[in-house]
Amino acid sequence: MATRIVERNLDLPDSMFAYSKAMLLNNPEFYNHSIAFEPFYYQKYGRYLSAYSKRDGNDVKVRQGGSDAYQYYYMDWYLLPQLLEHPCWTEPYLDMDVATGTKERVASYCQTIHDRSGKVVGVVNTSIALNWLSKTIEERKPYPNSYVIMTGRGGTFFAHPDSTKILCQSIFTGTIEHPDTARVALGHAMQRGEEGMKWLNYDGQDCYVFYKPLGDTGWSVAIVCPENDIFGDYYKLRRMVVALVIMGLLVMFIFFVNIITQQLKPLRLLTKEAGTIASGRFDIVLPDFKRTDEIGQLSESFGEMQQSLVTYIDELKETTATKAAIENELRVASDIQMSMVPRTFPPFPERKDIDLHASMTPAKEVGGDLYNFLLNEECLYFAVGDVSGKGVPASLFMAQATRLFRTLAGEGFSPEAIANSMNSALCEGNDTMMFVTMFIGVVHLDTGQLDFCNCGHNPPLIDGEFITFKYKNRPLGLMDGIPFQGEILADIRGKQFLVYTDGLNEAMNTEKEQFGNERLQEILSTSRQFTACQVVDMLKEAVEQHRAGANPNDDLTLLCLKIEKRDNETMKQ
Amino acid sequence: MKSEVLKICSLITVITLASALAGKAQERFVFTPQWKAQSQFAGYYVAQENGFYKEAGIDVDIVHPTSTQQVMSRIRNNECQATTMSLCQALEVIDKGVPLVNILQTSMNCAIVIVSAHNVNPLTQKGARVGIWSSGNGQLAECMSKKDGLNYQWIIAANTVNLFVAGAVDAIVAMNYNEYYQLMQAGKQLSETNVYRFCDHGYNIQGEGIYMTYDYYVKHKDQARRFAEASRRGWEWAAAHPEETIRIVSKYVKANRSGTNSEIQTLMLKEVLQLQIDRESGKREFRLRPDMVKRASQLMVEGEMIKREISYAQRGHQPCQPDVGRGGASDDGHHGPCGDGFEHGNPNCGA
Repeated sequence: MATRIVERNLDLPDSMFAYSKAMLLNNPEFYNHSIAFEPFYYQKYGRYLSAYSKRDGNDVKVRQGGSDAYQYYYMDWYLLPQLLEHPCWTEPYLDMDVATGTKERVASYCQTIHDRSGKVVGVVNTSIALNWLSKTIEERKPYPNSYVIMTGRGGTFFAHPDSTKILCQSIFTGTIEHPDTARVALGHAMQRGEEGMKWLNYDGQDCYVFYKPLGDTGWSVAIVCPENDIFGDYYKLRRMVVALVIMGLLVMFIFFVNIITQQLKPLRLLTKEAGTIASGRFDIVLPDFKRTDEIGQLSESFGEMQQSLVTYIDELKETTATKAAIENELRVASDIQMSMVPRTFPPFPERKDIDLHASMTPAKEVGGDLYNFLLNEECLYFAVGDVSGKGVPASLFMAQATRLFRTLAGEGFSPEAIANSMNSALCEGNDTMMFVTMFIGVVHLDTGQLDFCNCGHNPPLIDGEFITFKYKNRPLGLMDGIPFQGEILADIRGKQFLVYTDGLNEAMNTEKEQFGNERLQEILSTSRQFTACQVVDMLKEAVEQHRAGANPNDDLTLLCLKIEKRDNETMKQ
Repeated sequence: MKSEVLKICSLITVITLASALAGKAQERFVFTPQWKAQSQFAGYYVAQENGFYKEAGIDVDIVHPTSTQQVMSRIRNNECQATTMSLCQALEVIDKGVPLVNILQTSMNCAIVIVSAHNVNPLTQKGARVGIWSSGNGQLAECMSKKDGLNYQWIIAANTVNLFVAGAVDAIVAMNYNEYYQLMQAGKQLSETNVYRFCDHGYNIQGEGIYMTYDYYVKHKDQARRFAEASRRGWEWAAAHPEETIRIVSKYVKANRSGTNSEIQTLMLKEVLQLQIDRESGKREFRLRPDMVKRASQLMVEGEMIKREISYAQRGHQPCQPDVGRGGASDDGHHGPCGDGFEHGNPNCGA
């Protein structure tokens, strides 16, 4: 409006003072007003014509604003609208009135004056004070410690709670020497006239900054809200909750530790007593907890267990003593049993033609195997037997069988006669139905003929080959009445003859694998030239190796016999 | 009786001498730095605050000009006895018929830069609108524009930074210790691309020095020498005590309501002190270099800023002698330059 009036009255330069004054009088919100012209536009006024009006109390004073000391045409407000070619606001600045010594934060709205040809001949400048604006905005505090800042195009503060920063510092101040990308980004966003929010450390405090442009002035306003202000209550509540939870957990911990300690006290006592009992003091008195819950039941059970343990230990002692007595008896029985078989080798040292060696190894203290031999003139009787079962009953049965064999062999009976007689004797009163397999043989040393009767026993080997029986006799002691049948081998002289019990070929290792006939034959095939003793030892060692630490599963009895032709016989041949 | 007379005579002598000394201390001297209060003039504030001027027997009054006032108008109007100016500005004044004497050269280098608002090399902005100081210190930029055929359209303004920030100009002429940092404080990105430094392109002409009119100098040689020495002392103290100096500067900034802050002033002081160090000698020399005068004069003639070259030493003067008193007049009876000569009363010249 003012500009149009001025442009219509360019030919009345004196009236510019009146126009300027009228503008202030009619617009109480204006701080000052000036209508300024290009240097020498009016020759009458020379270089300067700036009709400058300013309030003076309730009055308005108007005067020439231009001088050598104030060449207004170099000022922002005069240049900006011309250069930008549109009306605009200047950056806020401190207006100093030297005459009155007053100062005020102001910003100017400037508009060019054109002559009829459209040429710019001057500028109308209207200033408003910013104090009221910044004061109004600064009073808006959403949070106790929040504050408002306003910046110009260059980021310079013209509203800030710290008055020393106003028009002296910008939002970028401090970032030149100490780069702060977050702050610079905020400043640039405000300069670009953007609206938004940023979270950053502002002046040493984590803050949320909400910013918005101030119309088309190029300025920006921002509310700086310390994070603690916004989330202070939330953080306080969170801290309280966390503290309460920690305290609760602590109380619960102490409570439960106490409870558990109390509850476990009897258990600890029981553990201690158990340790004492374990050390051998079975007679200690357990504490009475006088409780009926699980702990009381456990204590009661523990007491019962203690009593049972005491009883068990007593019984164990008794059993151990009994067992020791039995073992002692068994050792005696073993000695007796072993004394029943010939154990002196060579048995007939004067007879160089007889190479005989035997061995009996019971699986337990006493066994059910037997071997025996005796020389009756030129007849060498021998027998190898295996009583059914093991242990003491078998040993007693073996002892009886051994006694019968020696008696009958001493009488010079044939093997089948010995078998028949032994069978009759063993069947008598044999309620336990024990029996004994037995190979009974007699070698006529002068001819080398072997008469034998095999009573259900393993087939012996001759020169490593199993003998094939013509007749199949039953073991001794099973049934009486059916006669045993004997057989003959013409001449076994010079041959290796091995009689054994099933403790040899059925010896098992830990994998339950048997020693086997094949292995037996294989070993014997390499031992033809060995003595009877060597053969027996070699087989025992082979069995031991095969068992590889496994306990013997049966008695092992071996008898190896080699009859050599006598010298005169050899010479005859 | 005789002793009484002697005593009275002695007393009169002492009083007379004291009065003479007191009268000397009362010599009033108005010094006008060419711009508003800031670290650019730190050495003078220091000399004032630390009493160096007083010790030199000068009552110095530092009076800053208004934002649109050219300092020479103050000298012409006898509003001040000395002012600061750049070498080129001084040459222009001399060319216009005002003989000047340089009594102290503070800057050994050129601080002028051109900053592009469009992040391009200012040399590519032919015909661009370029802001330049209304206080009249941009002669070198104008010479360069003509010499390099850039034909800048000069926008003379009191505050070029505001025009730059508002996007009203394509570039501005700036001082590397002042507007340069103001632009940075306004969030502008400055780089080797958009900043043209005169000192790096054959225009390293000495900047600021203290000048007074030849007439005043001739009449007050001793005062000029003492003022120059005290000012130099102030600068040397400032260089040695930058933190204390900033505190002193802040006092003047506050008194003159300069609208700045200590960060900017600290950076400015650092840069101004750096400008005082001669690139070749690596020393703070405080002297006007004859070769610089010659170079500046040639550039100004080529740029049609002055009508003819102004030489360093005219008519047999010995301006580079330590004796200040001999800088203003020659033994051959000629008194001062007549528009075509350049006087130098710098006591440190040739040091």
